[in-house]
Amino acid sequence: MKFETLMLLLTLFAPIIGGFVYGVERIVKARMQSRVGPPLMQPFYDFFKLMDKRPLMVHSLHAVMGIMYFIACWFSLLVLFLGNDLLVAVFFHVIAVLALTIGAFSVRSPYSVIGAMRELMHMISYEPLMVLMVVGFYQVVGSFNLKDILNYDGIPLLQLPVVFMAFVLAIPMMLHKSPFDVAEAHQEIIGGPEIEYSGPFYEAVYTGKWIEYVYVFFFVFLFGGSHYWLGALLVLFVFLFVNALDNATARLDFRKMVKFSWFVLIPVSAFNIIFLALWR
Amino acid sequence: MELYVTLSIVLPWIVAFVIYLVKNDFVTNVLSLLMLPVLAYFAWEIYFSGNLPMLVDTPHWVDYAITIYDFGLLGYFLYQGIKNKSMLVSALAVLQLVLLIIVILMIEHSNTANIYIDKLTAFMYMIVAIVGVPIAIFATKYMEYDEKGKHSFVAILIWFLGVMNFAVSVNNIEWFFALFETTTLASYVLIRFRMDDQAVKNAILALWMNQIGGVAILFALLTFLKTSGLYHFTDLLNTDSKMLSLTALGFLSLSALVKGAQMPFHKWLLGAMVAPTPVSAILHSATMVKIAPYLLLRISPVIKGTLLAKLLIITTGFVFVAAAVIALTQENFKKILAYSTISLLGLMMLAAVVGTPIAITASLLLILFHAFAKGFLFIEAGVLEKVFHVKYIKQMRRLIERAPLTLMFIFFGFLNMTFVPFGTFIGKWIMIEEASGFLSHGSYVLLILYVGAGSAFLSVLYMKVLGISVRKSHGIERVRALPLPLKFNFVSVWYYGWLLFLTVFIAPFIATQIVPIAQELSGQIPNIHADNLSLVINTSTLYFWQILGALVILSLIHALPFFVHFKNVDTARPYNCGEAFPRHIETYNFVCISKYENYLIAFSIALFVMVLVLGGGLL
Repeated sequence: MKFETLMLLLTLFAPIIGGFVYGVERIVKARMQSRVGPPLMQPFYDFFKLMDKRPLMVHSLHAVMGIMYFIACWFSLLVLFLGNDLLVAVFFHVIAVLALTIGAFSVRSPYSVIGAMRELMHMISYEPLMVLMVVGFYQVVGSFNLKDILNYDGIPLLQLPVVFMAFVLAIPMMLHKSPFDVAEAHQEIIGGPEIEYSGPFYEAVYTGKWIEYVYVFFFVFLFGGSHYWLGALLVLFVFLFVNALDNATARLDFRKMVKFSWFVLIPVSAFNIIFLALWR
Repeated sequence: MELYVTLSIVLPWIVAFVIYLVKNDFVTNVLSLLMLPVLAYFAWEIYFSGNLPMLVDTPHWVDYAITIYDFGLLGYFLYQGIKNKSMLVSALAVLQLVLLIIVILMIEHSNTANIYIDKLTAFMYMIVAIVGVPIAIFATKYMEYDEKGKHSFVAILIWFLGVMNFAVSVNNIEWFFALFETTTLASYVLIRFRMDDQAVKNAILALWMNQIGGVAILFALLTFLKTSGLYHFTDLLNTDSKMLSLTALGFLSLSALVKGAQMPFHKWLLGAMVAPTPVSAILHSATMVKIAPYLLLRISPVIKGTLLAKLLIITTGFVFVAAAVIALTQENFKKILAYSTISLLGLMMLAAVVGTPIAITASLLLILFHAFAKGFLFIEAGVLEKVFHVKYIKQMRRLIERAPLTLMFIFFGFLNMTFVPFGTFIGKWIMIEEASGFLSHGSYVLLILYVGAGSAFLSVLYMKVLGISVRKSHGIERVRALPLPLKFNFVSVWYYGWLLFLTVFIAPFIATQIVPIAQELSGQIPNIHADNLSLVINTSTLYFWQILGALVILSLIHALPFFVHFKNVDTARPYNCGEAFPRHIETYNFVCISKYENYLIAFSIALFVMVLVLGGGLL
């Protein structure tokens, strides 16, 4: 029972945790650029400011979809934490993408529409990789069950090193970080799917993004198995690595993103899994 | 029992004949409406009779009648080939005639019954009744919108259902050939129904492609006769699988691939869209293409684990992904649906040839839910075409204002094809879980990759189409709900209700209805059971709160826009960087992919040859 309670609490506070992660990220990024950066609580100050603003919308459908994106994100996190099947959690995430893209497609702004289309390209890039990663966990642990993975005595990282690296390189695609931030691409399409949201509706989309942080980094944590300190260390390392990568690289074309995922990341992960299955 | 079986097969033929002769509006409407409860009742009685599987002996004269019918059918094909100056059709008809004569000379009398009814057959009856008949009902209204020949059209549709019922109950492969070719004939007649140049051309294409399947069945039959002398499905399944000729099984699978419109034989199914929309609905959902997974399910116990099965996995899985990719480049709504059918058929066959009990469950689930969803989507495509005059997805923009109800149905149909709590998703999910258990062969890792990638591409496809239809200018001005004809609404709500009902109770439904069929087919008990309303597969659970949560979120997403209007919120125009708004926004057509289409097709041809040569051991 203790495990479930903990996970339920984690899910409940996920937006706050995600907000803190985002706050830390802004500071880390600023320090990497020799800036001081905003205070840690800045995302929450933004939150209150945005909630206070006069709500403006393009039309109801669009606004509703922003809220649905937030709900679907939160629910997929709940499924990841409390359900016992990782694969189901991966597929639940698609619902969140559906809400976001339908919303973005529904307005007549070219930026939003292009952003939605690119969001789909993001999904094509990371979705099969996520499935492969979960299958990799199954190969190591012998179960799709989250609890079994968290109680696994060995270290999944040692058996899935290539899958881990591929996943780390796919994280920028999931969290919209440079070099794979093509869907948001602020200088180019001004935020893509989120451009038309404002006030509280924007806040919904934004909080959804915070939840995605928790969702993604939890997968990194799983690579430590029952060695939670290792998991935490991995999360820290990946967090710093992704931010460094974000700071150091320029944005790539979306074709390059899809090609990189399909011709590099997915084949090497598949090989990792095949050899794992053969040598076991 | 036997009476119900006979009636299930014969009644649609009789009703079709009556409709064809009487040509009266009242008779057509009433009879097609009546077929729904009647056929469903028969299927229900057969399914729950408790003494399945059973063999039904047929009188001796039926054998002769079918042989004569065969010759008549092939003669008709030959005549059509000569009349339409198609060398291919005539040549294939002649080839089949020659092969058929050899078969008849070689065949010896067998005491095995010619009709075999098991749970799978009853399952197919059920699909034909619940999914197939509403399409005929829909057609009675559809054909009143400036189309000619309503009565003969509905008659052919209902006859087609009878043919399908017959095809899934035969045990004798020679009879199966006759029925296989009859479905070819039915599709030929239906595709050519409008009789314009394009329709005739596509009908001829469908005819010769499906005849290749017929030739493959005859080759299989010849090989079976030559090697073991057996030509009944039950006999084949009861013998030691090592004794069976893999070549023959390879030919049988080839005919399934052709019937299932797998690339490179996918063009005939695309061509079918020139016909009136109910034709596409019936070809894609309840009849015709479903023979392909049915046939593979029948022979799956003997091909399971062989090299043939592995090569079939690679081929069908490739089609699953490639068809989904090509679908992204299409802009005709019906064509997009056709490509997604081709793609999902690949998945069904893949699951069928994997052949473990859980994989067979997945295949059955996919057959059922795909039938419902595709029937539903094509019905809505018909409504769009006739009432709203929309054929291409670029005409679908702002559909949300013009046809809110129809769009909601389409939305729901698309959600059913890929998203979480629905049957198709569960099929994919348990397929991945099952394949993860035996990854030691490369084809199974490929399988997981195929399923993951293909479902990602299909999701992208559906989101793209939906995205275009919800786009509108600045706020929903007025939602004008155009009143639709009663029959259209009845059929839509029928499908909608069934899909919703089955999804909510999916766990007990799978555990009590689908699992016994898989158990009977594979001879082993699949490790699937329902824990109240949660579904347990091996060690994984899909909880009811997950099913319900996803269902609630998705129904909110697909229905909320019509009901929720924020009253006190000001609206703003979208940001466009100060430029003039484009009158409309085009969508990505993935032109970068379409130039690879020929490579994909060439690769699938190579895989086909590999299946036959390596898997069938032809050389």
